[in-house]
Amino acid sequence: MADLKLTQLHKHYGAVHAVRGVDLEIPAGEFTVLVGSSGCGKSTLLRTIAGLEQADQGSIEIAGQVVNDMPPRDRDIAMVFQNYALYPYMKVYDNIAFGLRVRKMPEADIAQKVKSAADMLAIGHLLDRYPRQMSGGQLQRVAIGRAIVRNARLYLFDEPLSNLDAQLRDEMRSEIKRLHQELGKTFIYVTHDQIEAMTLADRIVLLREGQIEQAGAPLDMFERPATQYVAGFLGSPPMNFVPARLVAQGGGYAVRLEDGAELALPPARVAKLAARADQPVTLGLRPEHMSRAEAALRPGLARYSSRVDLVQPTGSRTYATFKLGGVEAIAELDAHDVQRANERIELALDMNRAVLIEPSTHRVL
Amino acid sequence: MTVSSDALARPRAPVGERGFKYLLIAPSVFLLLAIGIFPLLYMLVVSFVGIDMMAEDWSFKGLANYKAAFADARLWQALGHTLIITAVALPLELLLGLAMAQLFLEKFPGRQIFVALLVLPTVVSPIVAGATWSLMFDNRYGPINQILGWIFGKEMPLLWTVDPTLVYPAIIVAEVWQWTPFMFLLLLAALSNVDKSQLEAASIDGAGYWMTFRKIVLPAIWPVMAIALLIRALDLFRIFDIIWALTKGGPGTMTETISVFTYVKGFTQFEISYAAAVALIIIVLLTVAVTWMLKKIEIAR
Repeated sequence: MADLKLTQLHKHYGAVHAVRGVDLEIPAGEFTVLVGSSGCGKSTLLRTIAGLEQADQGSIEIAGQVVNDMPPRDRDIAMVFQNYALYPYMKVYDNIAFGLRVRKMPEADIAQKVKSAADMLAIGHLLDRYPRQMSGGQLQRVAIGRAIVRNARLYLFDEPLSNLDAQLRDEMRSEIKRLHQELGKTFIYVTHDQIEAMTLADRIVLLREGQIEQAGAPLDMFERPATQYVAGFLGSPPMNFVPARLVAQGGGYAVRLEDGAELALPPARVAKLAARADQPVTLGLRPEHMSRAEAALRPGLARYSSRVDLVQPTGSRTYATFKLGGVEAIAELDAHDVQRANERIELALDMNRAVLIEPSTHRVL
Repeated sequence: MTVSSDALARPRAPVGERGFKYLLIAPSVFLLLAIGIFPLLYMLVVSFVGIDMMAEDWSFKGLANYKAAFADARLWQALGHTLIITAVALPLELLLGLAMAQLFLEKFPGRQIFVALLVLPTVVSPIVAGATWSLMFDNRYGPINQILGWIFGKEMPLLWTVDPTLVYPAIIVAEVWQWTPFMFLLLLAALSNVDKSQLEAASIDGAGYWMTFRKIVLPAIWPVMAIALLIRALDLFRIFDIIWALTKGGPGTMTETISVFTYVKGFTQFEISYAAAVALIIIVLLTVAVTWMLKKIEIAR
């Protein structure tokens, strides 16, 4: 049975239609990440699930029970907030114990639960402190501790890492993933960061303008995006999009870029494209699917020669910016593949991995 | 212009600079001395002599005035009246102000206009408020008795400012009417500063209204609330205008507070030295009380 089921959910904020008809089922024990750029409605959706906002239309079911009119405390949920939202006048211990005391659990049980949560999060030595005496990372651990002692059915995370610095964020991210594996509970996690989404999720739900653009396992979404938006959202640096035209070439097809270069498509893809010959397409190519061309190319790779405008070494890899069919594109190359700007470079583009997009609908072909 | 290279090389003599500093604050220090310290010291001196309406007797009388004051039952009764009014009006103002502030926390159309209107009583001068309430409470022409008459369906000739059972309610109604908005305004500001996500966290944790209020809202607004209570307690302790306008301390001395008593002694009976002694006793009492309260609410530090 699904732990959470949303049916045609709508939510307005004044004139803003923040959530527009979301249907979603989340099975028990799954780690679902709601991701999207700011203003896409992901936080609103989470707050509506929590009961902090009222749904205008549609139903929310938790464990088979419609909870639309239920206050948050009866929904069997726990939540971690972006700004931690710890109670400043209580010590860490009391912060974590608060939800249990409210529910009239015996103090002895509370002590034991708080201790095991604190051990799990390595905050046992902080229990006597007040929130104002702690750093951001410690505060977020306490906030997570307050949620996990609750033994709720749904755990909601509202951008919990966005107030932390980069290193701490990586650390906490793996901690949250480990926590999910240990607890085996249903996690719903909101973020705008595609790396968090990719690394944490069993399933990503990508929202755009209040609607689900695509939902699926991280690698499925990464490799088989349904739309140009999804293709561009997941991956860093983002996928390159180049306007082109589909043309017949020999027995198969190729994409012709605006500078006249023709990139042959592998035969495996031909069948689907026959009807579209001589029509415009958008070619989508990830930076990591380009490499320095060798003398002989493997089948499926296409050769392209260009001048490098900008070189950005990251240490392990080097990003080279160049013009691909008239538009700026980024290739992710081996560290020493390119030395400096203005160098001419022969690239091998992996057309097996290329994505072809219908320019008018932005849907992937 | 001849300036020695020596003077250019090192900064101006520090002594001169320090002197200038004192010159700058001198006017304010002088004012403070003239209107604060001098009258206090003068009062201290006066309280040890025997000035009254009959004689300007500057001879030292020792503690005679103080002895008289401590033996004066009317003084201690006045103190009692003051404490009663404070003890009743202060919690009323707090509770009403808090309830109103909670109500106005929600956004609704016309909210700002209502807040502005509600704050108006506090803007009125207390003596004017007293005079207004005196008219309101008038036994024959006042609207209070008229409205009560409509409610009970018969004439209600209540003597609000004379009847011993009604004078205190009348005073407290006027006082609470005028100063509840002050509490309301401060508490509204404090309440709107409570972090909303903490309230949301509490609602998810399962806390009900009272639990949330006690554990999260109250600690957050306490500093502001404590200061508001302190200000109002001190104000109530020196209550004068409304009582003077409504009852002049009557009937008899039944509603005479410390301020009214001192005023009557000093400015209608002209027992100057005696009034000075009484005022000093009150100052000492108040200083002790305020220091204790500040320590209690941990703000003095």
